Amino acid sequence: MTTSTDEQEMGEDGGDRKALSALRRHGGIALGIAVALPILSGLLLIGQVLLLSQVLGRAIEDGVPLDQLWPQIFGFASLLALRIVLAFAAEWAGSFAAEKIKRTVRDSLTTRLLAPRPDWRQDRSSGALASTVVDQVEALDGFFSRFLPATIQAALLPIVFAAAVMPFDWVVGLLFLFTAPMIPLFMALVGFGAQAASDAQANALSRLSEYFADRLGGLLTLKLFGRMEIEAGAMHEATDQLRRRTLRVLRIAFLSSAVLEFFAALGVAGVALYVGLSYLGMVDLPGTQLSLQSGLFCLLLAPEVYLPLRSLAAHYHDRAHAKGAVAEIVRQFGELPMPVAVIIPPAPVRLVSSAVPILATNFSIKTPDGCSILLTSSRLSIPAGQHIALVGRSGIGKSTLLNVLARLARTEGTIEFSNRRLDDIDERELRRMLTFVSQKPHLFHGTIADNIRLAHPGASDDEIRRAADLALVTTFSDGLPDGLATGIGEGGLGLSGGEAHRVGLARLYLTDPSIILLDEPTAHLDPETEATVLDRLQGFAQGRTMIIATHSMTVASRMDATLRFENGHLLPMKPTLSVVSSGREFAA
Amino acid sequence: MRALLSFHPLFRPHLAGFAIALSLSLATLLAGVALLGISGWFLTAAFLTTAAMSFNLFGPSAAVRGLSMLRILSRYGEKLVGHDTTLRLLADIREWLFRRLGPGVHQASQALRKGDAVSRLTADVDALDSVFIVAAGPLVTGVLTATAVTVFLSVMLPAAAILYAVVMATALFVVPIMLSSGTRRLGARIIDLSTELRVAAFDMVDGHADLIAFGAADRMRARSDAIAADLSRTRLRLARASASASAAIAVLGGLAVVGTLLTGLTALERGLITGPILVGLLLASLGSFEATAAVTRQVAKFGSAIAAAERLRRLAETPPVVVDTLHPAALPAGGSISIEGLTFGYDPRRPVLRNLDLTVNAGSSVAIMGESGAGKSTLAVLLLRLADPIAGAVRVAGTDIRDIAQSDLHARIALLEQNAPVFIGTIGDNLRIGCNGASDDECWFALGKARLADFVRSLPAGLETPVGEAGHTLSVGQARRLCLARTLLSKAEILVLDEPTSGLDRETELSFFSDLRNATVGRTVLLISHAHLPFGIVDRILHLTDGRLREDQ
Repeated sequence: MTTSTDEQEMGEDGGDRKALSALRRHGGIALGIAVALPILSGLLLIGQVLLLSQVLGRAIEDGVPLDQLWPQIFGFASLLALRIVLAFAAEWAGSFAAEKIKRTVRDSLTTRLLAPRPDWRQDRSSGALASTVVDQVEALDGFFSRFLPATIQAALLPIVFAAAVMPFDWVVGLLFLFTAPMIPLFMALVGFGAQAASDAQANALSRLSEYFADRLGGLLTLKLFGRMEIEAGAMHEATDQLRRRTLRVLRIAFLSSAVLEFFAALGVAGVALYVGLSYLGMVDLPGTQLSLQSGLFCLLLAPEVYLPLRSLAAHYHDRAHAKGAVAEIVRQFGELPMPVAVIIPPAPVRLVSSAVPILATNFSIKTPDGCSILLTSSRLSIPAGQHIALVGRSGIGKSTLLNVLARLARTEGTIEFSNRRLDDIDERELRRMLTFVSQKPHLFHGTIADNIRLAHPGASDDEIRRAADLALVTTFSDGLPDGLATGIGEGGLGLSGGEAHRVGLARLYLTDPSIILLDEPTAHLDPETEATVLDRLQGFAQGRTMIIATHSMTVASRMDATLRFENGHLLPMKPTLSVVSSGREFAA
Repeated sequence: MRALLSFHPLFRPHLAGFAIALSLSLATLLAGVALLGISGWFLTAAFLTTAAMSFNLFGPSAAVRGLSMLRILSRYGEKLVGHDTTLRLLADIREWLFRRLGPGVHQASQALRKGDAVSRLTADVDALDSVFIVAAGPLVTGVLTATAVTVFLSVMLPAAAILYAVVMATALFVVPIMLSSGTRRLGARIIDLSTELRVAAFDMVDGHADLIAFGAADRMRARSDAIAADLSRTRLRLARASASASAAIAVLGGLAVVGTLLTGLTALERGLITGPILVGLLLASLGSFEATAAVTRQVAKFGSAIAAAERLRRLAETPPVVVDTLHPAALPAGGSISIEGLTFGYDPRRPVLRNLDLTVNAGSSVAIMGESGAGKSTLAVLLLRLADPIAGAVRVAGTDIRDIAQSDLHARIALLEQNAPVFIGTIGDNLRIGCNGASDDECWFALGKARLADFVRSLPAGLETPVGEAGHTLSVGQARRLCLARTLLSKAEILVLDEPTSGLDRETELSFFSDLRNATVGRTVLLISHAHLPFGIVDRILHLTDGRLREDQ
């Protein structure tokens, strides 16, 4: 299982890399600055080291007094200061570029999240998607702000430094030239393993986040069933598994840093020993007559040759993280969405607010996961202004049908509102034309009034109040300390199911639609409340086309007609007395 | 900072690991400093020597090679041990936090928003990792290295030692402290904004249909974009602060080098030190600045870690509303319930239940009907002692539930919540939450009673079928029946079923009701519902109105 995913991820490796490079252009000029300045700083370093070795060489070798060395010392200090400024500017530019890229990616991800028909995210959990938008995008940061500039430095600077040393001593120059390129080679070797392991880790992190979200959502259930101890242990186990996975990555990743350490130490020690021995006359290669100044120049430059490579290694995990993050984004979102230019749609044709007939021909619907067919090549024709009840066993596809009509799910076949194909209607026009209240209206963090206002952001407090009255929200909200201004949490925590549903229903009364689609509007209500809700609803729906999916025979009996969803077909039936009485029969 | 220190009991078991990582890190730093110093000294001395044969070559060359090797090994070990220890600690913190959430669970699940809670548990706990590896460790090793170099300098070149010590102290203490106090608010703000962004993402995913259907998608997008922009700006400010600190450290490093160079050259002129010593000291002091770079690079994250620690502590220390009595009494056998004079409201000024009385004999069944919002679910909350009443008492098996352990009470009463969740895992895993270690037969039996057995049997993997977050592969009705089966599987003698048939069609609802008696035989049942109940499925039907229960006429 694990191996197969790993292999798969290895196969996609090239794709992730390409996707990362494609993001680069969003960094703009800042990214260019972040890459260029350290190279410039590296060139200045040669001068700085040269001046320092001159000072030391002349003072020690020739006994030149301090007074005569001031120009060099001053030059050395100035270059040092200049390089500090360059480093600051480069670091800031790198962060700036990374922020710009992250914002672009987040923007495109939210656009995709809010796509009208998000068929791609059927089996994705909200926890994993949210974590992708926040954490995975954040994981791209280091790649652009640190890794990318470090790569260019590592590729150029060792060669530049080796070339700078050549005129002084070709042996040291060759030593630099040969050891430095070995490092990326070794790092590439260790890197392969690190990458695969790191992908697996990103996967594990996302699962862990899902797992936490899930267990937290059901904290109360777990406690009541006495599962807290077991679940706490399981959480430790899950985290510990993550540790073992992470450590597998790190064991390899750190190996590359050990390899680097080896070469860096080799460089310094090698230069020191070689130069020292040649001073002592124990090594005597042609064309190498070193002064102290030259020897010191080589030694001082030695650590600098390996420094870019070491900082590359230090940021290597940034690359691994970013690639893992890209893979995860692709896994969750189906692709790394590229920003699309926002096209301002033409102003929609002003719609005459009147009832609209619905005609659906030859259409089929599938379960959200696309596995089984719920409805085969059916025909549905609802005259303008008709009120229809949609009944059938739970899970048979009533909600999916409403989602299709609300253009929230795809279908095959043709759906027409007033002889206009549903697919051709402008999004804004459609939303004005049609109001859909789902089975579980989502309550956003904010006040009750905020949640109702979702349907019409410009609504006045009075209009909100009126909508709340109509949906019987005020019957419970008036009992709350802050009334409609009472804050409610995500998922409507703090409100009972019926109350939450009524807040969702209140949104309807702020709209002026031609078509109303309601999914179980009375599911949580007692008969008296249900009757009141229906009275208001039917009053509002006069002259509008309405479809209500329901289990309640009371609702069905009050509609103009009932459609029964059965065995993949829609069977029309009149609200006969027998149906109504079978509902009443069991009344207590 | 105090919040951070309050986590010390969790840190203690890992002290050995941290100590090893620290020593290895110190060894790495000192080896690096010594390697540079000795190389510089050796090179210069070799140049100045006149008689090559008399030069003791063995010592320095062995030292150079040995130090190189030591540095390689200690660097690798330090990193591995440090990360391993930190991650072990993180596992402990996660588990600890989950346990701590237990007592106040009712408040926690109400007050915490899902997105926020997730962010707290994962991101905040992760942020604590910077505390050791990233901040404390480098600081300690930095100070020790600087001290060693200062001592060495004060012997060799006393004039430079003072400057070096001052510069190092500034680099190690003043700069990080300034940076950390300057970035603390930024760090906290980043965590807050990340949370907001996460919540917005949750809203976009979970509220997708509503956002699209009401044409609110653009507004939502604008909101999330504004948060992302704010987050970006805050991060940039943090980056600027951290880059400034790096620059300050570099300036200090430059000062130390130039200072050592000038004092060294002066001392050389006066013949106080030799050339090789000067070069060695200069290179060693250059090398020692490796230690400060690490401190600054990471101290910016310190602010985030402190903010995270504070939030974790606040979350974990929320006092629970319900506390077990010190010496809980044993709960006698039996499944009777008696409630007397119960008064309760989440807002005490507006009690939902007023002086409510109820007696349910063991093994009998009672239905509680009432309008939505009448307080039916609140009654269940009090029965399970998730909150304590303002007045009155609840007795189970004749014992006041405030006198017994909550775990005993919960083992006696199983609740089917109105919004009972389906957990990530298999159908079998979900059922066994109700009864740990239940056999497959028992699971099938419970599924049968909940009228879900046929469906599960039709699945290729049966009980082993995985169900996603919030049971995405199940319909609302199927998820509901799975939760019902879980409750029925539990061994509790009292079952409280809060709207067990919501989301079911009438047909299934009726067959569920007709099965209820058989499914719950021998148990006490409290059925909370607003559905029409078929005749004879419960012994009594009570109506909850105006905070009191009335017998059905």
